[in-house]
Amino acid sequence: MQGFSERGGGPLDLAQLQSTMHAIELACASIQMHMNPAAAEATILSLSQSSQPYQACKFILENSQMANARFQAAAAIRNAAIREWGFLTSDDKRNLISFCLCFVMQHANSPEGYVQVKVSSVAAQLLKRGWLDFTAAEKEAFFNQVNQAVSGIHGVDVQFTGINFLESLVSEFSPSTSSAMGLPREFHEQCRKSLELNHLKIFYCWARDAALSVTNRITESDSAIPEVKVCTAALRLMLQILNWDFLSSSSGAATSTSIFQIGGRQGSDSPKKSECNLVQPGPAWRDVLVTSGHIGWLLNLYAALRHKFSCEGYWLDCPIAVSARKLIVQFCSLTGTIFPSDNPQMYEHHILQLLSGIIQWIDPPDAVSKAIECGKSESEMLDGCRALLSIATVTTPSMFDQLLKSTRPFGALTLLSTLMCEVVKILMTNNSEEEAWSWEARDILLDAWTAILVPLERNGGYALLPPEGKNAAASLFALIVEAELKAAAASAFKDDDDSDYLQASISAMDERLSSYALIGRAAIDVTIPLLSRLFSERFLRLNQGRGIVDMTETLEELYSLLLITGHVIADEGEGETPLVPNAIQTRFSDIVEADKHPVIVLFSSVIRFAEQSLDPEMRQSVFSPRLMEAVIWFLARWSCTYLMPPEENRELNSRKVLLGFFGQHNQGKLVLDIIVRISMTALVSYPGEKDLQALTCYRLLHTLVLQKHICLHIVALDSWRDLANAFANGETLFMLNTAHQRSLAQTLVRSASGIRNSESANQYVRDLLGHMARYLAEISSKNDIKIVAQRPNTILLVSCFLERLRGSASASEPRTQKAIYELGFSVLNSVLVLLEVYKHESAVVYLLLKFVVAWVDGQISYLETQETAVVVNFCMSLLQIYSSHNIGKISLSLSNSLLSEAKTEKYKDLRALLQLLSNLCSKDLVDFSSESSETQGTNISQVVYYGLHIVTPLISLDLLKYPKLCYDYFSLLSHLLEVYPETVAQLNSEAFSQVLATLDFGLHHQDTEIVDMCLRALRALASYHYVETSAGKVGLGSHATGLTYRSGNLQEGILSRFLRSLLQLLLFEDYSPDLVSSAADALLPLMLCEQGVYQRLVSELIGRQTNPTLRSRLVNALQSLTSTNHLSSTLDRKNYQIFRKNLKTFLIEVRGFLRTV
Amino acid sequence: MSDEEHQFESKADAGASKTYPQQAGTIRKNGYIVIKGRPCKVVEVSTSKTGKHGHAKCHFVAIDIFNGKKLEDIVPSSHNCDVPHVNRTDYQLIDISEDGFVSLLTDNGNTKDDLRLPTDDNLLTQIKDGFAEGKDLVVSVMSAMGEEQICALKDIGPKN
Repeated sequence: MQGFSERGGGPLDLAQLQSTMHAIELACASIQMHMNPAAAEATILSLSQSSQPYQACKFILENSQMANARFQAAAAIRNAAIREWGFLTSDDKRNLISFCLCFVMQHANSPEGYVQVKVSSVAAQLLKRGWLDFTAAEKEAFFNQVNQAVSGIHGVDVQFTGINFLESLVSEFSPSTSSAMGLPREFHEQCRKSLELNHLKIFYCWARDAALSVTNRITESDSAIPEVKVCTAALRLMLQILNWDFLSSSSGAATSTSIFQIGGRQGSDSPKKSECNLVQPGPAWRDVLVTSGHIGWLLNLYAALRHKFSCEGYWLDCPIAVSARKLIVQFCSLTGTIFPSDNPQMYEHHILQLLSGIIQWIDPPDAVSKAIECGKSESEMLDGCRALLSIATVTTPSMFDQLLKSTRPFGALTLLSTLMCEVVKILMTNNSEEEAWSWEARDILLDAWTAILVPLERNGGYALLPPEGKNAAASLFALIVEAELKAAAASAFKDDDDSDYLQASISAMDERLSSYALIGRAAIDVTIPLLSRLFSERFLRLNQGRGIVDMTETLEELYSLLLITGHVIADEGEGETPLVPNAIQTRFSDIVEADKHPVIVLFSSVIRFAEQSLDPEMRQSVFSPRLMEAVIWFLARWSCTYLMPPEENRELNSRKVLLGFFGQHNQGKLVLDIIVRISMTALVSYPGEKDLQALTCYRLLHTLVLQKHICLHIVALDSWRDLANAFANGETLFMLNTAHQRSLAQTLVRSASGIRNSESANQYVRDLLGHMARYLAEISSKNDIKIVAQRPNTILLVSCFLERLRGSASASEPRTQKAIYELGFSVLNSVLVLLEVYKHESAVVYLLLKFVVAWVDGQISYLETQETAVVVNFCMSLLQIYSSHNIGKISLSLSNSLLSEAKTEKYKDLRALLQLLSNLCSKDLVDFSSESSETQGTNISQVVYYGLHIVTPLISLDLLKYPKLCYDYFSLLSHLLEVYPETVAQLNSEAFSQVLATLDFGLHHQDTEIVDMCLRALRALASYHYVETSAGKVGLGSHATGLTYRSGNLQEGILSRFLRSLLQLLLFEDYSPDLVSSAADALLPLMLCEQGVYQRLVSELIGRQTNPTLRSRLVNALQSLTSTNHLSSTLDRKNYQIFRKNLKTFLIEVRGFLRTV
Repeated sequence: MSDEEHQFESKADAGASKTYPQQAGTIRKNGYIVIKGRPCKVVEVSTSKTGKHGHAKCHFVAIDIFNGKKLEDIVPSSHNCDVPHVNRTDYQLIDISEDGFVSLLTDNGNTKDDLRLPTDDNLLTQIKDGFAEGKDLVVSVMSAMGEEQICALKDIGPKN
């Protein structure tokens, strides 16, 4: 491969340049034709990697006829210049930028747009690279040139090119779109600030002036003219600048004292899908954006365009119209200190002006939607919706509603409601079409509603909503429910089987339902009676038609209704106890009689309906598995909020009535009993319905026992005792999925926290699970166990029991710990026997391991010395048996999928074993045992190292490709090395080298987090050794010093080995810049330990550098790495910090040329 | 295939039935199932409903444990499926005969001479080479529904 460097630094002759150009052209051509692309790529790469290829690149750019070659030459300039920036002269730097700028201006009318864009982005990137070094005058020189171009004195094409250059410049300076330069984040941040303060507004004015200069020509002509291109580009640049993340928006929250609550309204947790960024450029922009009539011009421009849509070259979706609309929508998000807080009229005027332009896109809604259904493009209407969303985000609800009143007889909320009603109607008539515009419109409008209602919900101020708004919300909610029910009835007979799609649509539906719920809550006094009425209509229909006509449609409607109601009445808890929604708390305050309280009426009727599922005949004819799922889901959601709410000081009458009704001293116990009985029915009477049972176990029962005061009542119920009894002694629950049995065991054990007496709580657990432990002990002591164990029914039973024991182990609490320890202890021996018997039955082996993991995790911190020793010995035998079964085993199957299954199973087993070791480790961190840790007990660290020694050979590099296993392994390893470096020193050399080999592997892993963990481990090792040897002790001893074998081979000490490989990594390989700090932390102690080796490596490095200038730079950089900022040879915090800083500077300084080929 | 089964029937474990019934909903991935008369290992279970308000049914994808062929079945989840009795026994390898049969040492000291070498190349070479090198080899034999096959190999090494 030929290099393209300029040998000797002298000018190249023409022939050489020609040959380089031909080589590159050839390479580009062969890539296009797919001929030997690897070699062609290497040729192109060698151009950008050669030293100072600029002359050749310029030559190609100016002379090549091939656009691709020019593109590659521009890319090569960029790569080489960024790499070599540190030692280019300032003349070189300026020349490169101005060459690129002049090139794009001169070729402004070139048809190959992509080359132009590339060259202009190269200019932008180089300008940014030198941004902090250039003087103001130097930058000014560049910008003068650009300004002339943008002002249009050199013609339309140059004007367009100038605007494009500014566009790439702005996107280069914006952190989210900037390209990597191998520099720390601070650099990008400084550039961003500097551009925003000194240039951004000027650029905006240039773009505005460019657009203004061509506006008249565009409005006057009837067909597309070249000026349109300029105007579009200018609009795009203005939009891009308004999208800038302005500094004042992040710090300006304190200054937003305006009555409009401007700023700070961006609820990050609101369930919004559409992007709506606030634009907060601060007061400096007021003259340009607000007071100069700029928006009036923009609206007029778009209005003029609207008239031209019939002309040739213009249409609703033509680029200039799209850009103009986007910019208008962006202006709707303008907020913050740009509007003076003492002049609210200015803001109102601004929004009103925008709204007057936008209203034509969406009003009257019925006419607009009809036109779209007849074939008009929907983009204008959608942009109108987006504008409403933006305005809704930046204003208060009442102001939002008032806005329209000056020009229309109705408020904006009413408009929003009618608009959405139109969309819902369209959806109702043709809901089969997917990805229709009405879907998108609905989502945007729902977001607008959410933006209005979420803050109200949070502050409890539905009263702030004007009455007209409430009516609008009520009628919209009624229509939405109607549409949902209609859709449900229509889909009742559809068989949607593709479950992947289903999962996605369920979460989308959940989001949609929460937005519906907000609308419903805005008019809660209408909504609740409406829902009650809809329920009772359907109950009646069911009762009348049951057994006579097909009820599927009604069932599906009820399903849908239960979901909607569940969302309206309660929030998702996500582990917390959700409060009663504000709207429901504050409304109905005048009603003090429980049987007239609409909310109580609604709840009672739903619960009474659910209760009917206990009747076998009703269950058969009405309660299909799917309907039952909705019932269980509703009960789970409802009981989180309303069932036996914690007693508190309640002053509001209505609230008291509502919360008290289902409280502990009223109907609460009764309802709890009903819920438990319904759950039992779902578990027993719906064989094989996994989804239903999963909901019952995980959602309903699980949440019930999370609250202690509910546990108090639940354990006293007969129905709960029946459930526990069926679980302990019955056979029906074996039919549940084993994972569900595990969850059920966990739930049942957890409910023991409701038993006041600790002795009876332990007895309850023993009664629940003793039978299973006895079975396992019995079967494992049988003589013919080998034969019995292989029978499918035995396997099923053993699996069930193991899962149940695992579930109960994970519910360990101090109160029941004793019983669970005894249970586990009684099966320890059986576990080892079963591990032997089922060594070929990987599914059972996994369950055995997982049980042990859960049990050790729950117990370890409570164990006394004696017990710890027992458990630790047991774990070691377990590891040994497992390893003896699996080392050197070759499984085989004719089927590839079974082979990969076997691999996955092995991976899961090993992960469980690593978890077991980590759990053992935690004994040293959290220990509740009565004896102090000083008493001589088991040395956990030794045990864990021993365990690791057993497990490590099972972990092949292949298995480390599983990210989770890899992560677990390295986090355990780095934890051990950090916490117990002294134990490592005592490992035998075989075990030690095993540990270090994996560490070396991890150091070159592609996952940053894993490399980070390895670096931490290295730091721990090296600093341990350094501190120990400084104190005159042995430290890592022979591991560190290296060994001379009898054969005469010298084995290098491990610290010097790692010093070498870490330096190699830092200087020559690719890694994330985030790792530099941790690498510095590891490098410093390594260097201190092995100073001799470090000196040798450094002189090797210097010796390899032939170029004298670069060599002296390298020497200086190495010198300052170890001497600047008063670096000392101690390992304290301050010194680490200094070294981090030094290393960063060092790498920026030398990596550029060290990596040059 | 059915002829072969018939032939082996007399040799199957006396007294132990070849399959057990188990509810379809409780059969999990990695469990065993009989599909079309063949013992299989389940590699995928999915559930769906017969109509929105109907009952759940399980869709099994499984691999024949002897010939590696893929089989599928759909069963209502409350119904019973047959689950094969799969037995695995370890034997020490004593000899490999010319005609492709192996000689194995049973627990009670007898020999078992009715098994062929496996057809899989990888395992075959491992067995042959290991045997030729004089290693102590243990083979696992999997049997179900009257069929038997060598399915795994473990080198217990000259060390022990």
